[in-house]
Amino acid sequence: MACVLKLENLWKGFSGLEILCGISLEIQEGERHAIIGPNGAGKTTLFHVITGFYRPSKGKIFLHDRDVTGFSTYKIARLGLSRSFQITSVFPKMTVYENIRNAIVSKLNRRFNWTSLLSQSKEIQRETDRLIDLLRLDGVRNMLAMEMSYGWQRRLEVALTLALDPSLILLDEPTAGVDVKETRTFVQFIKEVTGGKTLVIIEHDMDVVFNLADRITVLNRGQILTTGTLDEIRKNEEVQRAYAGRK
Amino acid sequence: MNSSRAYPIGGIVIAAAFLLLAPKILPAMKVHLATEVLIYALWAVSFNLLFGHGGLLPFGFGAPFGVGAYATALLFRYFAGIPLLPTLALVAMLGFATGITIGSLSVRLKGAYFALITFAFQMFLYAIALKWYNVTQGDDGFGVTRPSLYLPVWGNISMTNIADVYYFTLAIVFLAILATYFFQKTPLGNSIALVRENDVRPSFLGYNVYLIRLTVFSVACLLAALAGGLFVFFNEFVSTAVIDMNVSMIVLLMVIIGGSDHFLGPILGAAFYVLVQDWLSSLTSRWFLIMGAIFIVVVFYLEGGLISLIPSKRSQVGATPERG
Amino acid sequence: MGAFETFAVQAMHGLVYGMLIFMVASGLTLVLGMAGVLNIAHAALYMLGAYFAYSLTLYLGSFWLGLMISPLLVALVAIFIERFFLRKTYAKGHVPQILLTFGLLYVISEIVRMVWGTSPLRLFEPPILTGDIPFMGKTYPIYRLFIIGFSFLILIGMLLFLMRTRIGIIIRAAVHDADMVGALGINVPIYLFGVYAGGAMLAALAGVIAAPFLTIFSGMGDQILLDCFVVIIVGGFGSLLGAFMASVMVGQLQSFGVLWIPQLALVFEFLLMAVVLAVRPTGLFGEEA
Repeated sequence: MACVLKLENLWKGFSGLEILCGISLEIQEGERHAIIGPNGAGKTTLFHVITGFYRPSKGKIFLHDRDVTGFSTYKIARLGLSRSFQITSVFPKMTVYENIRNAIVSKLNRRFNWTSLLSQSKEIQRETDRLIDLLRLDGVRNMLAMEMSYGWQRRLEVALTLALDPSLILLDEPTAGVDVKETRTFVQFIKEVTGGKTLVIIEHDMDVVFNLADRITVLNRGQILTTGTLDEIRKNEEVQRAYAGRK
Repeated sequence: MNSSRAYPIGGIVIAAAFLLLAPKILPAMKVHLATEVLIYALWAVSFNLLFGHGGLLPFGFGAPFGVGAYATALLFRYFAGIPLLPTLALVAMLGFATGITIGSLSVRLKGAYFALITFAFQMFLYAIALKWYNVTQGDDGFGVTRPSLYLPVWGNISMTNIADVYYFTLAIVFLAILATYFFQKTPLGNSIALVRENDVRPSFLGYNVYLIRLTVFSVACLLAALAGGLFVFFNEFVSTAVIDMNVSMIVLLMVIIGGSDHFLGPILGAAFYVLVQDWLSSLTSRWFLIMGAIFIVVVFYLEGGLISLIPSKRSQVGATPERG
Repeated sequence: MGAFETFAVQAMHGLVYGMLIFMVASGLTLVLGMAGVLNIAHAALYMLGAYFAYSLTLYLGSFWLGLMISPLLVALVAIFIERFFLRKTYAKGHVPQILLTFGLLYVISEIVRMVWGTSPLRLFEPPILTGDIPFMGKTYPIYRLFIIGFSFLILIGMLLFLMRTRIGIIIRAAVHDADMVGALGINVPIYLFGVYAGGAMLAALAGVIAAPFLTIFSGMGDQILLDCFVVIIVGGFGSLLGAFMASVMVGQLQSFGVLWIPQLALVFEFLLMAVVLAVRPTGLFGEEA
């Protein structure tokens, strides 16, 4: 089983305040891994460090056994790692089709192509249509991203992440702010479109976690409390203590 | 169904006819104005490639224009008989190089900082132009003569007649603006636009945001330098007036008043500026102040510029193709 | 006269100019830190300070009256600008704001040209401060020493105010994190207003005392804008200490640059800015992005 992501003793601090303190973790291919923990535990910061947005003060990151520590965000994205955001970050004035197409253009390495018209490229069109179908976005194809409901924008947020056909998917609280009724269908959607892929997801909603993940890591105050399967975590006393009084 | 054509075809035909027949139907003075409008239109379009399309607002966009102007003037002066088209091509490349130089340091910054650092670079070049009297003759400036145009089949076409100057300028400007229009519709043009729409997400999608911004900056500078070259070609004169602070304000005025959301906005703004300036300056020597006031009013009350007053279908960032 | 004396005299020149830049840049960087607005029109206030002082001195016959009244007039202009122009752009976003402040600088420069003409003007220093005194084996103009002394007084006053008074502490906190200060129940807009008006008066003051030293001309606004901008880039956004260090540096560069390459002292400012941007884009004392 190939190791897709390996974090070795990661540290990250700002102006003397340490947010991540010695994180070590391995994610295997096909694994469905959730990262949970109280607010301020450093979960999103961890994602920022993995994706190259922040540079770790100490430690190393290996993607497909390749040392990517210090690589820029765009390089890491091109190596097959894609993430979604807790606060929706799409292209508001572009249509859903155009949003997905942006990811496709990058995936097909046509970002700097200036000798042909975008609308004439059959390859880009075909691939975009394929992804739109795959990601169930055909109904909202021509809607502007900013005109959609919040729930649909979250769907687009995840879709944009997946449009790159990444080998490692990072989802940062994908269901944040989505109302209870829609969450069930949304989670089902995520389950189907990420089926068989390596997934790491930050979540607060434990139902979502139990639905999507088979392994869980608990983060608290920048350190890993424990890693294990669902049952192991449920029974773990330290985890219960960390969450105590936080309902 | 082509939803990006926002204006009725009739209007375009009339405009085209007018442009082609201008030297025949207008008196010489007006043909001069028309040529000026064309040159400023190219400059304004290049500005808007950077601003409206790329989302980067520069206050120092007089720099590439001035560099293009001075380069052309110096080439005309020191290499008498130099062929016209290769000169303009060289000047355009020089503009691109200027863009890479200034851009490599500037595009790391955003917002007001980007605007001001480009302004600083322009003032730096202005200081050089002003003080290097031996070469540039400072604010006195110097005159040049237009070389003739050599075309393979036609041979030498002299450029002494304003009608010839007009048609040559029309041809170059038209081709350059057309190229810009299609450039915006290429995948690279799309990369530039999406970085404008969201400057964080693209890098997570594999886009090198810095390089994309540097590219649009350099291409815009290339076109601006070309406009500067045409300016000297037209006026047969260069001085620090092509690169001083006024110049930064002029191109800003044209694009903001014309409208930066639509591709044709800057062209409208250029026409507005040249024609209104011509009219106002015969009334008062303080016409610049009035222009400045109009600018402020537009910033407050007419965000889409003058072109937003013309009824049309909304022009989108790109057309979404039907399923096929 | 030896090399050391020349060096010392040039360093004094540089200090004079550096202090003037700091007086203007401090208002700019504080408002930037507190409100996130880079008010380009601030540079025009410096210019107006000089021009108002010129006219006031002409009609009232006293430099000192000009020195006192000019900043007040400029503060009124600044308040007018804020009330009728800037305020409207807060909701509209950054681009209209930048366009507006740049447009205002431009329009004010044009108005200045209209009212006072396009030729440079001379404002003479008051009789008490005319002449030279011996310094380092050479003679040095009293007026320049006055500029240094006066601006140091202002600087110390500012430091005491910002470090020792409650208002000053609130302002420093707001520069760091205005939202947080507001969340503590403090009426930040009023403090912002005070900083804005105070900064305006300081810029005008700089303009007044600079007038006899540099000539008064309608390009003054652009010139100080450039210097302030270099100072903010080099010193770091919102950092007062950074602005001070950078102002001193820029002043020295101008002074010694003029000595080496009279035509292009600007080169050194540029090199400094380019180096800072390449190596440490947030400025020497700026906070990490």
